[in-house]
Amino acid sequence: MIARTVRIRLTGTPTGHRVRLAEFGEEIDPLQREQLIAYGLTAQQTLTVLQQRPMTVILCEHMELALEHWVAHHIWVEEETRKPG
Amino acid sequence: MYCSPLSPALASGNSTLVLVGHPNVGKSVLFHRLTGTYVNVSNYPGTTVEAARAAARFDRAASLLDTPGVLALPSRSDDERATMRALLNENLRLIVQVGDAKSLRRTLNLTALLAELGVPLVLALNMADEARARGVAIDTAALSEGLATPVVSTVATGGEGITALTDTLASARVPAPLLRYDDEIEQAIETVAALLAESAPHPHLAARGLAILLLGRDSEVERWIKTQAAGGEILARIHGLAPLTGPDSLPARLARERGRAAAALARTVTRQDAAPDRTLSLLFGKIAVHPLWGWPLLLAVLYAIYLFVGDFGAGVLVGLMEEKFFAGILNPGITDFVRTHLGQGWLADMLVGEYGLWTMGMTYALALILPIVTTFFLAFGVLEDSGYFSRLSVIANRAFAFLGLNGRAVLPMVLGLGCVTMATLTTRILHTPRERLITTFLLALAIPCSAQLGVVLGVLGGISFSAAALWGLCIVLILLFTGWLSGRLVKGHRIPLVTELPPMRMPVMGNVLKKTAGRLKWYLAEVIPLFLLGTFIMFALDRLGALPWVIEAGKPLVTGWLGLPPEASAAFVMGFLRRDFGATGLFILGSQLNALQAVVGMFTLTLFVPCIASVMMIVKEQGIRIAALMLAIIMPTAFFVGGLLNHFLRFAGF
Ligand SMILES: Nc1nc2c(ncn2[C@@H]2O[C@H](COP(=O)(O)OP(=O)(O)O)[C@@H](O)[C@H]2O)c(=O)[nH]1
Ligand SMILES: [Mg+2]
Repeated sequence: MIARTVRIRLTGTPTGHRVRLAEFGEEIDPLQREQLIAYGLTAQQTLTVLQQRPMTVILCEHMELALEHWVAHHIWVEEETRKPG
Repeated sequence: MYCSPLSPALASGNSTLVLVGHPNVGKSVLFHRLTGTYVNVSNYPGTTVEAARAAARFDRAASLLDTPGVLALPSRSDDERATMRALLNENLRLIVQVGDAKSLRRTLNLTALLAELGVPLVLALNMADEARARGVAIDTAALSEGLATPVVSTVATGGEGITALTDTLASARVPAPLLRYDDEIEQAIETVAALLAESAPHPHLAARGLAILLLGRDSEVERWIKTQAAGGEILARIHGLAPLTGPDSLPARLARERGRAAAALARTVTRQDAAPDRTLSLLFGKIAVHPLWGWPLLLAVLYAIYLFVGDFGAGVLVGLMEEKFFAGILNPGITDFVRTHLGQGWLADMLVGEYGLWTMGMTYALALILPIVTTFFLAFGVLEDSGYFSRLSVIANRAFAFLGLNGRAVLPMVLGLGCVTMATLTTRILHTPRERLITTFLLALAIPCSAQLGVVLGVLGGISFSAAALWGLCIVLILLFTGWLSGRLVKGHRIPLVTELPPMRMPVMGNVLKKTAGRLKWYLAEVIPLFLLGTFIMFALDRLGALPWVIEAGKPLVTGWLGLPPEASAAFVMGFLRRDFGATGLFILGSQLNALQAVVGMFTLTLFVPCIASVMMIVKEQGIRIAALMLAIIMPTAFFVGGLLNHFLRFAGF
């Protein structure tokens, strides 16, 4: 059974949580979107939120990335759920 | 087994090897290793702004090109366009892709595009030490087999893998493509590639690769194709092929498919082991961007810089150089020597008199300014290499947002405290013309360079702490106000900051020393001629009896409005050449100034024209119109605000 996953904003993710990237909001313009993808932020990628203030800092594989709140606000993520078994 | 045919590029004796890769992966260090030529290395993304070229150590007939980092191709930013230009125009023999071993997925994402260009490629997986420290193990043999071209793991800073890299260059091949795009896209690629091959063949890049770049809307390749006879027609055909914007645009789909292929390949050759402890670097990195603890750390860093540059450089070293060495030993000796040989005439005066080329010009440059900038550049180099600056841009982002900028501007602004001219050049790391313009303006108006800062603090600090603090406060207020204003007046949008935070690293001392030496050489070459010219002008004005005239002419402004002694006019004349030179001029007046006059004088001088060298740099970077406009704004503003301060302080009974 596929459980419906809840999408939350990256800015709304508590520090220390691991999340999966769902999608970028419409507000993020194509250039910025490309930039984010180039940094390795692709759908389903696992991210760890390191801090939210003064900017959102995430760990994507072994790279730390700092995002201004405006950008992080328009990134939608899903809380990582443990696989059964 | 490598079985692709030897490419035509390799056979026809082409001679350029080009280093391509993401920002901050070690291309410049590797360039230094491979050529012996030093280029600016910095632990801050985006600091190589021009391609550098040098002969390769292992093959003197070949030249190696260091390029600005690319986040991704097709090119979107100035840096990426510069790199694309190099790929299009160079007589390429080989691409050395430099990648970060700890983010293989990202590296292969770029490889997926470079592999289609039809040029032999070698992949250097650099920062192998950092990957190891994170428990990342990459099976380079498997990767090399997958790509059908050599893959070498390297540590550029430690020299590890460099020989292996040069040895494999000879066996470089055109890599096997990482992916086939989906059928619809493949068809589009084939159509465009056929068009290109028929009517606009490129001398060394494969039509397929160029087709992919064109479909991805690479502006640099579009520019190239427009120079071809059939270019306009081909472009029109491409634009008719598929939707070019939106989430399902062709560029986005191409990028997505490359991303998938890269992720899949990376997964098959990477193993993630448990990582050994690296708490210290993590802890520092964490504190540096902490919303609370970031600030005490910043203060501690600033204090350490102050101790090193202000106390040690401007205090101890200048004391040793100026009083002990120059005033005590060198200058009396030289003066004696000159006087005995040239007598008391004007020639001797010109060399060793009150406004002597040696006694004033060279003495200022070498005894006063050199120790200060040397210590500043050293401190700056250490911070730059440690990775602190990109973290500082996180902390400072909000303040810079107020100025209509983003935290990236922190590097040029701090460098401006060393040398405004050099910082103006560094504004190139900013991403938009708007940010460059605002930063250049603020640098020209309100950032005192280290030489000037040293003199200012010397004078004001000698009067009282509150005088120095008052000056600092006024400068910060002006900076904030004019920044806020220009953020509103300059057209365009502020770009939100998205930046990579490279790990904190122990600065490599050899690297820091080399960088400091490079900066000093540049600085002295710029400063000494101007100091000599300035001294000569002062000497001539004095000789011709024009100095009193200048003083008289400046009287209403300098004495009336600014409330300074009339002789201060001379300092402003000197300030035209260099602000620190002007400040030194006020320094000589020191004892004649009261506290209020010293603060007002130094404040006005700080804002007053940027030095000639930096004006020339502004002309070079922004054009003569913008430079003239900036001067037209800055000069009246300086005197106006300086006068306001004078009247306000008198009114407040300072
Ligand atoms: N630990 C480690 N640091 C490196 C290595 N190569 C380069 N660096 C550091 O990484 C930073 C970026 O290097 P640089 O050559 O300027 O990168 P570029 O932007 O690709 O030209 C500098 O601080 C280097 O000292 C390496 O193999 N290992
Ligand atoms: Mg570089």
